Amino acid sequence: MLYPECFEVIVVGGGHAGTEAALAAARAGCKTLLLSHNIETLGQMSCNPSIGGIGKGHLVKEVDALGGAMAQATDEGGIQFRILNSSKGPAVRATRAQADRILYKAAIRRRLENQPNLTLFQQAVDDITVEGDRVTGVVTQIGLRFEAPTVVLTAGTFLNGLIHVGLEHYAGGRAGDPPAINLSHRLRELALPVGRLKTGTPPRIDGKTIDFSVMQEQHSDKPLPVFSFLGNAAQHPKQMPCWVTRTNEHTHEIIRANLDRSPMYTGVIEGVGPRYCPSIEDKIHRFADKDGHNVFLEPEGLTTHEIYPNGISTSLPFDVQLTVVRSMKGLENAHILRPGYAIEYDFFDPRNLKSSFETKSIHGLFFAGQINGTTGYEEAAAQGLLAGINAALQAQDKEAWCPRRDEAYIGVMVDDLITRGVTEPYRMFTSRAEYRLSLREDNADLRLTEQGRALGLVDDVRWEAFNRKREAIERETARLRATWAVPHKLAQGEAEAILGQELEREYRFTDLLRRPNVQYADLMKLSTAPADPETDPLVVEQIEISVKYQGYIERQLDEVARASTQENTQLPVDLDYATVSGLSREVQQKLALHKPETLGQASRIQGITPAAIALLMVHLKKRELAERAAHKEQA
Amino acid sequence: MVRVSGKNLAGFAQTLTGTQPKPRVATLARFKDAHGSALDEGLVLFFLGPHSYTGEDVIELQGHGGPVVMQLLLGRCLELGARLANPGEFTQRAFLNGKLDLAQAEGVADLIDASTSMAARSALLSLSGRFSEAIHTWRDKLVDLRMLVEATLDFPDEEIDFLEAARAVPRLHALQSQITEILAKAQQGSLLRSGLHVVLAGQPNVGKSSLLNQLSGEDRAIVTDVAGTTRDVLRETVQIEGIPLHIVDTAGLRETEDTVEKIGIARTWGEIAKADVILRMVDANHGVSEEDHAIDSRLPEGVPVVWVFNKIDLSDTSARVENFAGGKAIWLSAANGQGIDLLRQTLLTIAGWESRGEDVFLARERHLQALRSAQSHIATALGWLQQLELMAEELRLAQEAVNTITGEFGADDLLGVIFSRFCIGK
Repeated sequence: MLYPECFEVIVVGGGHAGTEAALAAARAGCKTLLLSHNIETLGQMSCNPSIGGIGKGHLVKEVDALGGAMAQATDEGGIQFRILNSSKGPAVRATRAQADRILYKAAIRRRLENQPNLTLFQQAVDDITVEGDRVTGVVTQIGLRFEAPTVVLTAGTFLNGLIHVGLEHYAGGRAGDPPAINLSHRLRELALPVGRLKTGTPPRIDGKTIDFSVMQEQHSDKPLPVFSFLGNAAQHPKQMPCWVTRTNEHTHEIIRANLDRSPMYTGVIEGVGPRYCPSIEDKIHRFADKDGHNVFLEPEGLTTHEIYPNGISTSLPFDVQLTVVRSMKGLENAHILRPGYAIEYDFFDPRNLKSSFETKSIHGLFFAGQINGTTGYEEAAAQGLLAGINAALQAQDKEAWCPRRDEAYIGVMVDDLITRGVTEPYRMFTSRAEYRLSLREDNADLRLTEQGRALGLVDDVRWEAFNRKREAIERETARLRATWAVPHKLAQGEAEAILGQELEREYRFTDLLRRPNVQYADLMKLSTAPADPETDPLVVEQIEISVKYQGYIERQLDEVARASTQENTQLPVDLDYATVSGLSREVQQKLALHKPETLGQASRIQGITPAAIALLMVHLKKRELAERAAHKEQA
Repeated sequence: MVRVSGKNLAGFAQTLTGTQPKPRVATLARFKDAHGSALDEGLVLFFLGPHSYTGEDVIELQGHGGPVVMQLLLGRCLELGARLANPGEFTQRAFLNGKLDLAQAEGVADLIDASTSMAARSALLSLSGRFSEAIHTWRDKLVDLRMLVEATLDFPDEEIDFLEAARAVPRLHALQSQITEILAKAQQGSLLRSGLHVVLAGQPNVGKSSLLNQLSGEDRAIVTDVAGTTRDVLRETVQIEGIPLHIVDTAGLRETEDTVEKIGIARTWGEIAKADVILRMVDANHGVSEEDHAIDSRLPEGVPVVWVFNKIDLSDTSARVENFAGGKAIWLSAANGQGIDLLRQTLLTIAGWESRGEDVFLARERHLQALRSAQSHIATALGWLQQLELMAEELRLAQEAVNTITGEFGADDLLGVIFSRFCIGK
């Protein structure tokens, strides 16, 4: 049957990508349908119960600045909050939270249910309908057809999912959920370039059987950090600690003795796993000289005893898992609630995507999340939001949007994915961002809220709060710039006492603030300081960072300006690279295969040299001249 | 001549020459350094865009000085905000700015293509094996430090050897002193590669060994008028205006039954395969014969060939250079030295010293510029011991600079090093 209502955007999948995609498309004003095989698992955290971390926290704050749900849901469901890297500088400082799975899921569900323009429906999707090279809708398991001009596919690890425990394996999308076999076959029919990846989870442990008294505890930071721009610490539920135990030589012996029963080491698993999230058998095998590895025991929530032992992801058989767990201090009597497993799944080469996450081959079909070869809730959420807004923009006949590499980690991730592809599950790290000093958690709002507002993603509450902060920053910065510290107007020894050294001449307050050891509060102690100092710590923080980092940020802006011509030069879709003089055959083939959208993207494809870019520029100019000449002739 | 192209260069010209040169008029001026003292004196020509070759403002500086003064002048221009042009970039800009028409587009593409391969060749020529090794070693040490810094920033929860400021200091000092040393040696000129491999090839008894002796100024090779005297490969290094050339004398190429000579001939072909330049020697009195054609058909493609017509002292021919078979031919006498200078000049041109495109001089400047930039970022990094992310930024910029010599090393490569060295991940 054809469902009687038409939609503008259909989102398939209700994980972190799917939910942000559906919310974003609906916020942007599109009639949106979210299809999930199980409404109970919307917003489910399938792996570890934590959100954020270095690079990932940055993504969450960006999603938040664009009106997304992840940060707010974490504020409502977070049972431990920490700031990582607090002493290493503002750009690499990041927020991380442990979340109560149930509270988090409920917070997401509440937002979905209350979002205008959004319809939820529980059915697995078996087919994507395509006419010519254009998507027209989807068909569910019971043959129900839904029509829409745009479809966002966020299938996670469900496409051809294969779960391994020891040498046994069975089809599954996640422990307890069926895989999406039909959909996967359908996508393979559409001739999209497909590959296999692998990821894994540890066994879960019953906290009642753990002796926490022998373990080190890890608590929330004080004051309690907050994730969302609109959040506050009062929203956080009761806070809980994590605990740390450690593998030992005995643990390692057990694993070494059983490697022949590991699907990883016997060739059963073909998919490539992430190097930065190795299974415990990988750690023991590859880093044989280490005598122990930390294992973090993370609570799954306030209303359960289930514990997630972060650090022992494994696909060894269950009997080995049990002896491994019980070999560790405090876990001698541990009961495993759920076995650990590895899962292999299909992903699609993201080089087949535009920067809007629309596939290059099928118009109106968008991909987001693990299906693009990434890993992590935060990476998925950010992609979901981007794909959702772009599906909405297309449905509304508007131009696509994607932030640049210098504007957001989202931009870095998209650009990395579409120009370089993936060889292992892609995860965000701050070292991936060449504009790292500009892309901070603390300025995610300043970088993106205005754009989010223009796209229809940001509501009035956020917009007004944002404007208040931005205006306060501008006002106070202008005031500091106009305020001078004049040596003879200060008391004897005052400058030395407050600023660490005497002033040899007069200085603007902003110039004094540039000094590494001078803070805003110090300036306000000077007797010539203006009255009514700014009291909002976030405003003060922003002023301090932007003044102190001004030199670096200006250099990065220069770099961006220099590259802007290249970044903004579009490469026509119909460009026949074989006709570009001077390009080697290899370069021609690479460009023809990946069809970059801009010269900037082309320059980041591996093996594309600056000379090739120069040749492309000459070719584009030649095309332009030829077209103009033809035009003249016609006239 | 140094040529600068860009937007709004009037201020640039003013600062460099101390006067405001009139457009389109050659003005005599002093080129000044940052302290206002003269580097050189020469002509300055100023073209206001769009009435210039590139369509932008263009300044042409014609000095008197040789390579050293030229280097200073170039350095001064870079100090004032210019950067070294990419291969073929002037013409590319001219085309993009509409100064050339559609018919010339192919030529622009060819030029970019040709100058890029030439630049790559020149870059190789400008690096000696020893220096290439020194720079790569330095790069590896930089990567090692960056690995620690970036791992500390991106993986704070891990049990990696946490990088404390105290441990970064000796590493940074080592990096600084090593790059300073490399730069100093490079500036003295020893960065130049050990030189071109010039292989003498031809039939027996055309005077290859005599030419080797003539070029090297000593009697290294045994010269007789018996064909096939040279049975093994002989090498001699000669300097032409500071550019070292390895001249390789070889056994004459002919059909032979002599076992020893056969081995010599096989080695000759081996040398020819490795040659940067082939000196194809022919007896001027006999001209190019059937046997010569047989040799030519086996020469590797893409290696410049200079034809040498020897023994002009035995005929009435004068020493000269002519275009020949797509390259140059020189008529000379290896016996009395007539025409040897013409050969030297030709070899210099091929070595890239005097060619008009991307030459060794410019390639060397690129390398020096990269080393200076890396050096300055390391120095700044030393000031950020308490701010790890700023140190990281300076180290990244140093890496980008040295990448222009050693090749791309991006974020993925660095992550690869981190993952192979540390057990990252929960």
